[in-house]
Amino acid sequence: MAQRPATERLRRLLIILPWLMEQGEVAVEEAASRFSIGVDDLIRDLELVSMCGLPPYVDEMVDVFIDEGTIFVGVPRLFTRPLRLSEVEAFELLAAGRAAMQLPGADSDGALARGLRKIAVGLGEDDTGVLVVNPTPPIVQELTGAVENRLRVEVRYQSSSRAEPALRQIEPFVIFSSQGNWYVHAHDVGSDGLRTFRVDRIESLTVVGSAEHEAPSSMPDPGTWFADADIERVTLRIGPRGKWVYERYPVDEVSSADDEGWVTVRLAVTSLQWLARLLLRLGDSVEVVEPLTMKSVRSNAAAQVLRRYSVG
Amino acid sequence: MADRVERLTNLLALLLETRRPLTLHEIASELGGQYPDAGQARRAAFERDKASLREIGIEISSETFGGDRAGEMGYWVDRSGFELPDLELTEDEVRALQLSLAATRPDSAIGEEALWKLGGVGGGVGGPIRMHLPELPALPVLRSAVAHRHPVSFLYAGTTRNVDPWGLMLRDGFWYVVGFDHDRNDRRTFRVDRCEGQISVDASVEFERPDGASLEVALPTNPLLLGDEVEGERMARIHIASRRAWLVEREVGTDRVEDRREDGSIVISLPFTNEDALRSWVLGFLDDAELLDPSEVRQRLINWLESMI
Repeated sequence: MAQRPATERLRRLLIILPWLMEQGEVAVEEAASRFSIGVDDLIRDLELVSMCGLPPYVDEMVDVFIDEGTIFVGVPRLFTRPLRLSEVEAFELLAAGRAAMQLPGADSDGALARGLRKIAVGLGEDDTGVLVVNPTPPIVQELTGAVENRLRVEVRYQSSSRAEPALRQIEPFVIFSSQGNWYVHAHDVGSDGLRTFRVDRIESLTVVGSAEHEAPSSMPDPGTWFADADIERVTLRIGPRGKWVYERYPVDEVSSADDEGWVTVRLAVTSLQWLARLLLRLGDSVEVVEPLTMKSVRSNAAAQVLRRYSVG
Repeated sequence: MADRVERLTNLLALLLETRRPLTLHEIASELGGQYPDAGQARRAAFERDKASLREIGIEISSETFGGDRAGEMGYWVDRSGFELPDLELTEDEVRALQLSLAATRPDSAIGEEALWKLGGVGGGVGGPIRMHLPELPALPVLRSAVAHRHPVSFLYAGTTRNVDPWGLMLRDGFWYVVGFDHDRNDRRTFRVDRCEGQISVDASVEFERPDGASLEVALPTNPLLLGDEVEGERMARIHIASRRAWLVEREVGTDRVEDRREDGSIVISLPFTNEDALRSWVLGFLDDAELLDPSEVRQRLINWLESMI
């Protein structure tokens, strides 16, 4: 196995040592698994620092020894406190915490709010400048109740096709917000499988009974929710003004930009209407490369909308 | 050669424990043979160690001596700048932070390490409600600039912007930095993911954030009002077909509905500043929406469509 870099090893040690000193005595296995480090790596690095030392404290600076799979810590002298939070870590905690405070059920005086306040005070910084605004539609609250109480609900759902909203029964497992949209992963009773629905297309919701299906052990990653291989793909050339397309939608591939800032993008087409909307919005900032069958989507859609304006 | 971790640990211990700044000569002699003897090689090795410690988050302080050692540098590590102060977090507070990370940034190695420092553990499964937070390298730098009120500059749409960042805001899944743009001499909003290249921070200046510079007010909640080059606000009137009416009414609010027709369709009026955003929003409904006013914007939308046939 490749040697871990010295900085990485020392950084991890400076996190582990203060914890060990607080514990006094702990199984090697437990410490290794807590800090996601191999047992052998941990033993080697702890033995190494226990040898460190300067006169007059040779060998005593970090008083740690390992015996029969247990780590023992003597009198703590150095490295009794963890390193400060780095800027990156502080942002990570703050953003995650502020975002979670926006989720339904967050208590403005609860443990999370108190923890975030203590971190801001501890950093000695004015962190009022980081704000997360993520309004929760009322339907999300209702879906949350359905997840928590293990309910089956009937929704009036407008799928992305041009069909009228239709009734579907679902058993919601996880509700998540990604890039400004809310989604729900649920067991879809009609198709007897796991499906993802856009919450803003749910017109109304009624409880119909108890859920019968258990949540699967793993959920699709939010970024890949419709990356199923069986969905048709389109390849587009997109100009600089159409950047938002590949920022907002999950894409299979994006080429690097040419001199004029155009890129080639391959992405999933959930429906032809979806593609039509995308193409109309992009105007001359997009070209359909393939498949050939999709090349006429834009002009057909433009003609259809123009009829609405009594033109064309 | 001794393991580099050993030398780094000894160096850190020495510079933490010392009661006075130490010269490189003194450091090398205390560390007995762990640094090369030759002056240049020793300096290079020490500079490399300094950089490594900085990478870990430990800054080595230095000062230039005066008197009979004039010109020589002395080094030490300031303990208060290195150790995490006791934040007095309770177990349930650390646990709540862990859950918030699990719900918003699962698999974040950075978050896990931060939790370790706070005495917690990473991982865990988020609850039934989650939010996916985008990761952008510019964010920690901007947050720090916001917290310390340092001006920043960055490249945006091909131009360098010099901005006093008042705050960062996540809305609709995107991070924005809101602040005072010195070149435009006005408040501006920028999408963080569109800032190109490095953000440079001028740590020598501390700007004043105006009173009442509320971020929520600064960033309009209506996407049609977004855009960097804001002209005046205008009103648009849009006719929405009945089968989309419920969706639109829920999005824009009932008070925007100015007419309800017998067929179930509605006419809404919406303020906008950004014509591109307005056109994009209307076309998102295909032929279920028709822009009625302003008439010149309607005409440009028709031209836009005609160019695609």
